[in-house]
Amino acid sequence: MWGSGKKKSKSGGGGKSSFDSASCTALFNKYTTEDDPFAISMEGIGDLCDDLDLDPTVDVRVLVLFFKLGATAKPGEISQGEWNRGCEALSLEGIEGFKKLIPSLDTGFMDHDEFRKFYKFVFQFSREGTNKTIEKDMVVALLQMVLCDRNNAHLNSFCEFLNKSGEENERISLDAWQSFLAFSLETSEGCEEYDMDGGAWPVLIDEYVSWKRGPADTKKK
Amino acid sequence: MSLGNAKIIRFESGWEEEIKVKALGRLQDHLNNGAEKGQDKLFNNNDYVLTYTVCYNMCTQRTPYNWSENLYAKHGETIEEYLKDHVLGALKEKTDAFLLKELQHRWKNHMIMNKWLQKFFMYLDRYYVKHHSLPTLAIAGLRKFKTLIYDEVKKDVANAMLVIIDEERDGKVVDRDLLRQVVELFESMGMGSLDSYTADLEEPLLVTTREYYARKREEWIAKDSTPDYLIKAEKALEDEKERVLNYLNSHSECKVLRVCEEELLEKCQKTLLDKEGSGCKALLANDKTEDLERMFALFNRLDNGLSPMAKIVEEYIAFVGHSFIDEREARLKAEEKKEKPDDPDFIKKLLGCHAKYTDVIKAHFTNHPNFQKAMKEAFTDIMNRSVGSYTNAELLSTFSDRILKAGGEKMSETEVDSSLDKLVELFSYLDDKDFFGEVFRNQLAKRLLNQKSASDDLEKAMISKLKVQVGTQFTSKMEGMLNDLSTALEHEKAFKEFRENDSEKSRKVLDTAVQVLTTGNWPTYQCPEISLPNQMQLAVDQFMRFYNAEGTTRRVKWFYSLGTVKIKAAFPGKEGKMSTYDLEVATLQAAAIMAFEDGKSYTFTELADKLMMDPKFLKPVMHSLCCGKYKVIAKNPSTSKITDKDSFTVNKKFKSPNKKVKIPMASLDANANTKKVEEDRSITIDAALVRIMKSRKTLDHQTLIAEVLSQLHFFKPNAKQIKKRIESLLEREYLERSEDNPGHYNYLA
Repeated sequence: MWGSGKKKSKSGGGGKSSFDSASCTALFNKYTTEDDPFAISMEGIGDLCDDLDLDPTVDVRVLVLFFKLGATAKPGEISQGEWNRGCEALSLEGIEGFKKLIPSLDTGFMDHDEFRKFYKFVFQFSREGTNKTIEKDMVVALLQMVLCDRNNAHLNSFCEFLNKSGEENERISLDAWQSFLAFSLETSEGCEEYDMDGGAWPVLIDEYVSWKRGPADTKKK
Repeated sequence: MSLGNAKIIRFESGWEEEIKVKALGRLQDHLNNGAEKGQDKLFNNNDYVLTYTVCYNMCTQRTPYNWSENLYAKHGETIEEYLKDHVLGALKEKTDAFLLKELQHRWKNHMIMNKWLQKFFMYLDRYYVKHHSLPTLAIAGLRKFKTLIYDEVKKDVANAMLVIIDEERDGKVVDRDLLRQVVELFESMGMGSLDSYTADLEEPLLVTTREYYARKREEWIAKDSTPDYLIKAEKALEDEKERVLNYLNSHSECKVLRVCEEELLEKCQKTLLDKEGSGCKALLANDKTEDLERMFALFNRLDNGLSPMAKIVEEYIAFVGHSFIDEREARLKAEEKKEKPDDPDFIKKLLGCHAKYTDVIKAHFTNHPNFQKAMKEAFTDIMNRSVGSYTNAELLSTFSDRILKAGGEKMSETEVDSSLDKLVELFSYLDDKDFFGEVFRNQLAKRLLNQKSASDDLEKAMISKLKVQVGTQFTSKMEGMLNDLSTALEHEKAFKEFRENDSEKSRKVLDTAVQVLTTGNWPTYQCPEISLPNQMQLAVDQFMRFYNAEGTTRRVKWFYSLGTVKIKAAFPGKEGKMSTYDLEVATLQAAAIMAFEDGKSYTFTELADKLMMDPKFLKPVMHSLCCGKYKVIAKNPSTSKITDKDSFTVNKKFKSPNKKVKIPMASLDANANTKKVEEDRSITIDAALVRIMKSRKTLDHQTLIAEVLSQLHFFKPNAKQIKKRIESLLEREYLERSEDNPGHYNYLA
């Protein structure tokens, strides 16, 4: 049946003939600094954003871009290998390619699974150096940015809670971050069904629900 | 009797002339005219044989002259007629005890009649009855009595009996023999089973018994105190048992007693227990042991009857214990002095309470498990409520320190041993056993190092009691401490020998006794650096030579914050002479004192330099020498605080009435007890979590929490604390949350 031996070839992939990796690398090098020629870090990312006319402090599409490029190795930077592979996978040619891509970076296009992975990426990418946790102010900002369009019932009150809480919640872990998403999707606004004593939710979420339920619940210490 | 020669007997003649007249008639006459009159031979042998023979012949004649069937029928008819005509009527006209008497009489008669008829017609039983599968004569007769007489009067008879029984319950003396005989009649009417008795007498009896005691219950409960009620109930039960024994069937015993228990005890149990002023709580408060014992015995008869009582006992004991704690709380509030981790009166009260109720449960509640549990619950509740700055665990340990210290609580040897036993029992209720362990170890170390133990044997006894209670893991360090010191004693001998055989010069080195301790066993002490005076340094070096000569590879660290030194110090005394004193001081203090050997004065900073000591350690040392009871060093200015600018010199004015002067120093080791225990707990929880997850690979949250709790024997964290440790392990990537299974964790190898 397969006698013809015809090779299947991807459209627009396959060999170097259809993808210009040289210009891809050239673009890469535009954003690196003297300190590290093999990775684009925060400064370079900032420049790229300028060129793309995106504000990284409020526009979640910047993060989506780096998510799709696959910048997972180290927080806050993308390596040359990742850049090349990512550009190739997305067929990005030059800065124009990037600009054309921007509309598709809206998180609304992501299904549930992809969004969850992206959400995790946001945390991992936003860490500083080798820290495993992120400062809560930053967490609040990130949450606003990432979840504001996702119709999240708990976003605002959780951010309020974090802002009001003291130094015991100064740094947030990945576990708490990730759990918040799952929690907010399955729990009603009033948190009536939340199982405080038997649930496996992180302590931070327990404290949030306690705070949310109000003074009637704080006696349950 | 041969068949051959007699002429054929015709039925009518046989029946009318022979049997009826000669036998039955006489029999009935006899019965009608008082069978009691002479139990002499109703029928003598000859009479009997004659009648028997007639019957026999009539039954063995060849057909058509075989009258078996007719005779059998006539047997039945005779009895029937007699009962109907003579007996029933007589019974129907009587009531109450008279009815019973009459029935008894008629029954006796019937037995006689039945017996003779059976004897006369015995041949029928042999063949005819068997061939035709008919009831035997005796049974047939009995059945006639049952259907014609018994069934007609049984209701009235039963009622009559029950009335009499109630009268007896009320105290009247009744004819028990009569009652017994009638009961036997009921039993016989069952013809092999107890059914008639059960249905016709026992069941109505149970109904009236229930009614009777329900009435009594209402009566008594209204006016009687609980103990009085219980005495009456107890008596009623005894009476009923005795009644059954005396004239009822033994099968009725448990049924009657059950009814009484239900009516008298079960239905008003709560009321009895809760009665104001005389209920269970009041009895406990007033030590009414006899009443409590009775209450226990009675409620023990009921199914699950002890639970409510045990609950009240539990609540009462808890109430007593909590009242001690409330007292302590109030006392602490009122006191203005600084709080100490020592409250012997409080602990003694707890010990006393525990001993008291252990005895009560043993002596009066037969050590029943319900009550042992009540005690355990109550004391667990009590022991885990602490007030003030120090937990009960700490207070308990300090109390044992008192006992184990030389010159502590004055007690005899047996008193001490039993006190330690009781202490360990109270310990067993603590949730925070690890905290007790920490405090106890610190106190033990202090006793051992300062040689303050009352006796080594007592220390060993206490440790082994703890070991029995909670296992070796808990006591291993304590045993290690004792071992270290006994090893040190052995080493002392070897060290002495070494010194003797050492060079001439070294024999003059200061006499030193060194204890080498195993780090893991002992609490962590501060290890301040110091430059020792020459004599002391030589002694240290000598010991190190000895120790290393043994070929050991262990690292030895010297703790100069511990240990004592004796110094002979001469101060200017009376009339220009020098008075010498024997000063007993800590090593650090000795070093400081020796710094003034040259007679000069030093400022604080100079002193710290000379001794190469950290000022934070030097301050308390100097404070003890200048600002305490024995001011051997003079301070300028003579304020009570040590500052950097102070200058020190030997106090030439020092005087003391005692030649031996012991100068205490504040301990350098702050009580880091709580913090250390908390840290240990985190580590223990982590270790348990990792261990469990490693073996289970994946587990849900609830089960994990439960497993961890079951593995922790010395403290009880709440779910939140365990959760926090889980999160720490998640962060450190020992565990991960399961993607597929929400609420589950996976072990990360």
